[in-house]
Amino acid sequence: MSLDIRIEPPVNGSQRVVLAGRLDTQSYAQLDERLAPLLRSPPRGSTLVLELDGLAYISSAGIRSIFKARKALSAVGGRVLVVNPQPQIQKVFDLVKAVPMGDIFASTAEADAYLDAMQRKVLEGDDG
Amino acid sequence: MLIRLIVPGEHARVEDLNASLEAVLARHCVAPGVRDDVRLIVEELASNAIEHGVDGEAAVGQNELSVDIGIHGGLLTLHFRDDGAPFDPTSVPPPDLDADIDERPIGGLGLHLIRQLAEEISYRREAGFNLLKVSLRIPTPEEQA
Repeated sequence: MSLDIRIEPPVNGSQRVVLAGRLDTQSYAQLDERLAPLLRSPPRGSTLVLELDGLAYISSAGIRSIFKARKALSAVGGRVLVVNPQPQIQKVFDLVKAVPMGDIFASTAEADAYLDAMQRKVLEGDDG
Repeated sequence: MLIRLIVPGEHARVEDLNASLEAVLARHCVAPGVRDDVRLIVEELASNAIEHGVDGEAAVGQNELSVDIGIHGGLLTLHFRDDGAPFDPTSVPPPDLDADIDERPIGGLGLHLIRQLAEEISYRREAGFNLLKVSLRIPTPEEQA
């Protein structure tokens, strides 16, 4: 089982990436390569949303890729959000505290609602 | 012992190793959750042995990895053997998981994962080989339900 990566067009400072298969020693380099252009100079406060419904397995090599993304976005005040991690992924995330609990969402709808609320907050902030 | 597998120390062979182990474990009705844990432990240890275990002038791929797997009394036990440089994974200090993302190193989590998943882990160096024994508890059918 290899890794499938689908990068969707960015919407309102949020970039969605859909992963399926296995993110491990064999496949992490593909993800690093695909994410590199997105992480080179991300807009201030931007968000990377990793949709993990179809991801069956992750190892520490995959966690390294996620950490690289988290570091790159943290440097510009942005974040990585994770949607619907499957049991093995959630277990590994918990064991290494890979992603803060508040950045993990059970569904795309939940993550979207959160992003909308964030967006509104930014806009209101701009008005005031 | 259910099976012993020996592969050259190359990243590409680790997937073969895991595919074979997974088939054996599935045949013995080992639950998918435990199979995932075995896959993770084998991947982490094999990658570690391949990347860090090269001794002196030997090139990557010249080392050999051997894995035995057995099931006894609710425990699944993996015996790893490699002829790379001496390395005791049980002696590595645990990572700081609570540091801020900007402060955290991107690596060093593989051994931590193994130690968290294992019920027991022991290492010895013998006759030029790293010998590592890792045991996992197999949940009873009631626990799996």
